[in-house]
Amino acid sequence: MEKLPLGLVMELRNVVPYKTGSWRTLMPINVMHTPPCNHACPAGNDIRGFLRVLAEKKDYEQAWHMLTRTNPFPAVCGRVCPHPCEGGCNRRDFDEPLAINCAERAVGDYGLENNLKHKKLIETRKEKVAVIGSGPAGFSCAFHLAKRGFQVKIYEANSEPGGMMRYGIPSYRQPNYVLKQEIDNILSLGVELECNVKVGVNIPFDQLRNEYDAVFLGMGAQKGVSIDIPGKDAENVFTGVEFLKQVNTGKWVEIGNDVVVIGGGNTAMDCARVAKRLGANVNIVYRRTRNEMPAITAEIDEAMEERIMFRYHTNPVKLVLDEGRVVGLLCVQMELREPDASGRARPVPISGSEAFIPADTVIMATGQAVDYDGIEIQTVDKRWIYTNEYLMTSTEGVFAGGDAVAGLETVSLAIGQGMRAASAIEDYIEGNKESELAQQPVVISRELNTYYYQPVKRYEKEARSIHMRLKGFKEIYPTFDQDDIIAEADRCFSCGLCFDCGNCYMYCPDNAVKKSKTTGLYEFDYDFCKGCGLCAKECPCHYIQMTLEK
Amino acid sequence: MNQNAEELNKVEKKDLFTSGHRACGGCGQALAARLVQDASGENTIACVATGCLEVFSSPYPDPSWRIPFLHSLFENASAVASGVEAAYKALKKGPVNIIAQGGDGSTADIGFQSISGMFERGHNVLYVCYDNEAYMNTGVQRSSFTPYGARTSTTPMGNKTRKKNMPLIAADHGIPYVATATVDDFRDLQRKVKTALSIEGPKYIHILAPCPLGWGHHGELTVQICRLAKDTGLFPIYEIIDGKLANVKKIRAKVPVEEYLKLQGRFSHLFKKGGSKETIAEIQNIANQNIERYNL
Repeated sequence: MEKLPLGLVMELRNVVPYKTGSWRTLMPINVMHTPPCNHACPAGNDIRGFLRVLAEKKDYEQAWHMLTRTNPFPAVCGRVCPHPCEGGCNRRDFDEPLAINCAERAVGDYGLENNLKHKKLIETRKEKVAVIGSGPAGFSCAFHLAKRGFQVKIYEANSEPGGMMRYGIPSYRQPNYVLKQEIDNILSLGVELECNVKVGVNIPFDQLRNEYDAVFLGMGAQKGVSIDIPGKDAENVFTGVEFLKQVNTGKWVEIGNDVVVIGGGNTAMDCARVAKRLGANVNIVYRRTRNEMPAITAEIDEAMEERIMFRYHTNPVKLVLDEGRVVGLLCVQMELREPDASGRARPVPISGSEAFIPADTVIMATGQAVDYDGIEIQTVDKRWIYTNEYLMTSTEGVFAGGDAVAGLETVSLAIGQGMRAASAIEDYIEGNKESELAQQPVVISRELNTYYYQPVKRYEKEARSIHMRLKGFKEIYPTFDQDDIIAEADRCFSCGLCFDCGNCYMYCPDNAVKKSKTTGLYEFDYDFCKGCGLCAKECPCHYIQMTLEK
Repeated sequence: MNQNAEELNKVEKKDLFTSGHRACGGCGQALAARLVQDASGENTIACVATGCLEVFSSPYPDPSWRIPFLHSLFENASAVASGVEAAYKALKKGPVNIIAQGGDGSTADIGFQSISGMFERGHNVLYVCYDNEAYMNTGVQRSSFTPYGARTSTTPMGNKTRKKNMPLIAADHGIPYVATATVDDFRDLQRKVKTALSIEGPKYIHILAPCPLGWGHHGELTVQICRLAKDTGLFPIYEIIDGKLANVKKIRAKVPVEEYLKLQGRFSHLFKKGGSKETIAEIQNIANQNIERYNL
């Protein structure tokens, strides 16, 4: 018989693990939640994704490829987008939201500088799609279809592509070479472009419908709408769209010394600032106050910085003419009463408050409409194109997106709709049943454990001095420093996605969080996890969630 | 020196204290014990006094320890550790890290004399106290570490005495290294263990280890409660190196003690009808005194 040593000596190989996992009532799981920035982005960009690539790998090229998976215009959006993502950023409840828009522009500019190219997913397919209009919606749709191998042809009514990005946005906000380079990059995917062709006028719409497997309508809202007051047809009265288009095509517009812009939207701000750069004194006439202005706050601020006069509570009643030319406006003061259908306060005129404002030129930036010349389609309120939830119009195989559908909206929304329409067109051509991927819940700031983050100052872009700005049409924000942007990306909380802080790994009292040898990711050892929830509570970014036992 | 500092600040995880122990979910002591063992490494002998730690981690046939482990009585963990150290000296073996470990009962009450003796004789042993502020293993009886106002099964109306200040008592023995730590800052805790083990002579580390069962909080709050104990000033974090106070951890943002007390069932009687505002004020007073004394 084997002689045992004195006392109880235990060898480790005799150890039987006691599986404490059976005590558990709730189990932790790793869930990649949707961050609020991605959720708020109308173009559907993976914002957290590209910020994390910048922060962790400092790799602009990979960030550009991530961003252009959804958005072919990062350099344009980085300049003109009103960035709802920053409004969603969970850092707003901690210190200040991330400067996502600046990061996007830096990544977009990097792509332009280094001439990065889009990658095709599938080589070629025989199906053909026609895209009408080469604005953000049309190009986005064409881009996503071309990536999937479809033969795409874009028809553009103007002489140059870009739509409102080309003709509606002044070059101090977005220089033309940026747009041109990003468009060329999309065209290099094999997208055909034909300019100076107005569908419905030069080619019948039905011909396209028969020739192509599907048609996408992205013609935007290019027709300026003026308010109906006496004298609106005088020769020195422009609509906002018309005025911007003339300036952006390089024509000299004679505007004189005093310019009055009517309206409070983004187009009004653009017109006013362009007129200021052409050397005029500019008054903006708006019948409500700044609070009700639909324009982006930053735009209003910049316009004010550039010494543009704002006249609130003022409504033009009549344009005063002299020999067929406008010499001024007769305006009446308004007071605000209870809100109307749009939720904004309803202005009511005060009697006897008429006043005269002299003007050499009047610009009416009071709305835009879709130009339906030769295209017959079902509309909503006789203004916007009707579409179902998959962006298909009342005509089978005809899809639509952008301003023509959504009303006056942003470039990023048009890009997002173009992308959605591309998916819908693919589904339509392949005869798939339309399906939407289930989206993970959005992380709200209450769910984060912000103890592990440090307050860091936000990156602020610096504008050129006002004196320099007003000298010409040069871009007002010079290029950003790439290292500053990486530092800014490092502020990202990474809401809903593990960033390898190691809290769960270190805090588990049961040693039940393991680091995978193959993937390097953290995994739960459910044999031993007691389900105390410590890891979920101490996860800074809400990547770990406690759920019922499966 | 720089490399040394880097080595000290490194976070260690070596699986020397493994899964499968019978501690409650979210146990602060199990977490603390694992962090200490991972920091000290394989070349370690653990002498553990009777208490929760010994009960939940050592029963046959599945102990959690992957290092030599000696279980002694409630009162003599440090005496046994002294003996191990003396034996290593006599056999001319080593060097080895010897860590005597115990809960607050075995440190402050029952085993106090043997700790005091070990410090006085100058054995090269690290003593780690896992402070969960009562005798949790036997059913939450009051110990001399139980804080003012806390309810235990032997002080149902709330404890009437203040907590014994063990780190200062240990420091007054003239030992080279004394430190306090909590489980929420594992980097700091492991640095302190490694620093202590690099010093010759008796050392003392006092770790606040919340007990979800005895303190009456949910297991997921263990780390948060430690954080609040620090940020209210009730548990100051510092080192005493050769008798001098050093590396005092400043409070990030001061929090009133109510935030800390509200999370725990053992203080719930203070907030109920007929609860004592004076007791809360007194606890706040204790926190303020700490802040002033240690310049938190």
